[in-house]
Amino acid sequence: MDGILQQFARVAADPLTYARDWKARTGRRVIGLFPMHFPGELAHAAGALPVILQQDDVPITVGQSQVFSFYCGYNRSIIDQALRGEFAVLDAILFGDHCVQLLGTADVIRAEVPGLPILFNQLCSVLDADWAMTQTQGTFTQLWRELEALTGAPLPPDAVRDSIRAFNRNRALIRQLYDLRRAGKVVLTGRQMQMVVKSSMVMDKAEHTTLLEQLLATIDQSGVRGNPVRVFLSGHLCHAPRPEVLDLVEDCGGLVVDDDLYHGFRFIHADVAETGDPVEALSHWYIDRNHKVPCPTRAIKGMDWEDYLLKAVDRSGAQGLVVLMAKFCEPHMYFYPEIKEAFDRHGIPHLLIETEHEEMPLEALKTRVETFIEIARRKAAA
Amino acid sequence: MNMIVQPEKRANKLKSTRIAGKLVNDYWEMVWRAKEEGKLVCWYEGSAINPFLEAADIVWVHGEAYSAMLAARHQEGPAQQAAEERGYMKELCSYARTHLGCAVSNQRNRNDTDTGVSNAPDDNDLASKLPPPDMIISAYAYCSTGQQWDEMTSRLFGKKIPIFNVSIPWVWGSKPDAKYLQGREWNETSAYVERQLMDMVKFIEERTGKPYPWDRLRELMTNVKRASELRLEAMDMCTATPAPASFFDWVVSIAPINNLPAGPQIVDYFQTVRDEVAARVASGEGAVPKEKYRLFFDGIMNWNKVGWLAEKFARYDAAVVTGRYTHMAFWQEPGLIDPQNPVLGMAQNYLICPNNHAAPILIDLIMGLCEKYQVDGMVIHASRTCRAFTNPQFLIADAATKRLGIQTSMFEGDVTDESFYKDELLNSRVEAMLEAIDSRRMARA
Repeated sequence: MDGILQQFARVAADPLTYARDWKARTGRRVIGLFPMHFPGELAHAAGALPVILQQDDVPITVGQSQVFSFYCGYNRSIIDQALRGEFAVLDAILFGDHCVQLLGTADVIRAEVPGLPILFNQLCSVLDADWAMTQTQGTFTQLWRELEALTGAPLPPDAVRDSIRAFNRNRALIRQLYDLRRAGKVVLTGRQMQMVVKSSMVMDKAEHTTLLEQLLATIDQSGVRGNPVRVFLSGHLCHAPRPEVLDLVEDCGGLVVDDDLYHGFRFIHADVAETGDPVEALSHWYIDRNHKVPCPTRAIKGMDWEDYLLKAVDRSGAQGLVVLMAKFCEPHMYFYPEIKEAFDRHGIPHLLIETEHEEMPLEALKTRVETFIEIARRKAAA
Repeated sequence: MNMIVQPEKRANKLKSTRIAGKLVNDYWEMVWRAKEEGKLVCWYEGSAINPFLEAADIVWVHGEAYSAMLAARHQEGPAQQAAEERGYMKELCSYARTHLGCAVSNQRNRNDTDTGVSNAPDDNDLASKLPPPDMIISAYAYCSTGQQWDEMTSRLFGKKIPIFNVSIPWVWGSKPDAKYLQGREWNETSAYVERQLMDMVKFIEERTGKPYPWDRLRELMTNVKRASELRLEAMDMCTATPAPASFFDWVVSIAPINNLPAGPQIVDYFQTVRDEVAARVASGEGAVPKEKYRLFFDGIMNWNKVGWLAEKFARYDAAVVTGRYTHMAFWQEPGLIDPQNPVLGMAQNYLICPNNHAAPILIDLIMGLCEKYQVDGMVIHASRTCRAFTNPQFLIADAATKRLGIQTSMFEGDVTDESFYKDELLNSRVEAMLEAIDSRRMARA
């Protein structure tokens, strides 16, 4: 079990090295994807390795020439990586999001890495609009054509369906881990679960799935020891929170039992239909996503992040909520007061941790986390 | 820096823009009376959909315009404080934060029934005075914050307000045929937005319970088109030396073209402005007393500082003659508007807000303006909470230097949050830029 987790951790720590090795080994294309809603299945079916582009740990240096300090760590890091030449391994970037910061990042990459094709197909962000399904189908159809043009080969629907099956299998296995963890049968720390999910955003699907199967077959199911405070992690869109922050929650007496992090349950929560027209299936996957794990970057009536979180925290048996917010993340800043008020109303302890790319003084944070854990513990005992 | 700034040099503002002040006041008075008069009120952000609403006799409140008005009157504090108290962070778009603060204040007044005092807002409390919406329309080009802002507004009013979203795609412009207002992507996005606007009209009909008055919209768009033509004609005259009007005059003239009632008065206003500009060109009268430098202003306006900045640049003998915010937005392409069949042209004007074209097209347009107005330098306002405007600014600065060989200077400020503005930084950076321009001129001489 530990060996598998270490493999995941190695890939998660250095995704582009994995991508370079994979490319050298296979001679096939590597295609980068921007988070959080663009499917990797089409690129996979086109024979490429779809890699969700990740923030790295390197302090921003050359990137400062093209991005202001008041942008989120993800965008600053992506621009810095692009300017450092880290994306030389990529044969293209796909994205379709509407985050204003990410649009600026795409412009910078186009200007600074002119030989790197960026296939931009903007997704409709109003998921319950009358035209959302038609528009999304058009978007994915256009992407399909552009991938065919990029590879110079037709992309057969059966190949896409095979890729959908491969992705579904991978997601389902990770969801099994989540189920076991919620049920208290296995202990996977916040750091470990992040490594599982983050590596799945990068690795060859078949390879990752094989490792997941081995992990599930060998994982210790003797359950939770002691009496830690059960914690739900929420937020941190687009990029992974630093593992050290997750460690801190557990070092202070917490046990992460569930999350809605993008580098967590948000990424693997929904599957794509394996039969029928693949474009229609992918479109439904996209349009229906907010009904399962609402995303603050998408508009839909009748679904609210805070309502979902209240239910998810209750379902997981968590005794408190830690909101991880990447500094300068606008959608999260907009929705945070809703979450805060909802959890205040229900008397559920919650803690906001704002994260930054460079400066995360963990010692200062430790006192706040310890206090939160203590409050949650007392509240649960009362 | 040792540059001697002579305080007696004052900006020579256009006299006609004083009319804008009255038009703006009349408009907001109309908004504040809306509920007394039994009018429906729509809150919206971003695109100038107000003619659609005005035609249907719905009172319209443009969120940015309200926040800008508060900031220009230095009355933004209570709204921003109310927003902060609810948990909206300082790094959020300050337009949104200020407007949401109005919603928070409004709801507080409505719900605060246990205090034993009147809940009616003080007449001077402009944050609370804003009438609550009966509907919300979200139609925001480029910036994702618009949709999220509207979502929050809807929540602040208990999710009971009907909301309609129009998606305005970014024009990425990577296809081989992509050019400004040309190419397949442009045509497809234009048609997509047009279709949504037609659905928006159905939404409006549902709210009013009446058939949509298309003739009234045609009438209003005839005025908008003519006002826009006059505005652009007057702007074009500022290629003259000295420039007869400045960027700051055009900032003051944004409301009449963007969100004031589109009656004949906006045509009259821009006719008056155009005539004054023409008279100044004829007499050689400049917007600054002694024009020595001509500058491009990149970035959104610092609404707390409009007059302040106009005076500051005048003291430096710097005529800010053009800018992205004023010269690339607000019904910028009147030729696309067919008043008899206006919806497509309206959609297209929404698509060309100054940020909604990706950098290559955007930068070409900016470089074109710099050449047209023969600028010596570019001052770049990096507005802390308006990332829509700051996104391409390093690329713009780079292009200005490499393509045109002009100096650039960047300062940090904000749209409506004054605390991000650092006057001394602006002074020293502008002075350095002007000195560099002087040095270059001396070297050439």
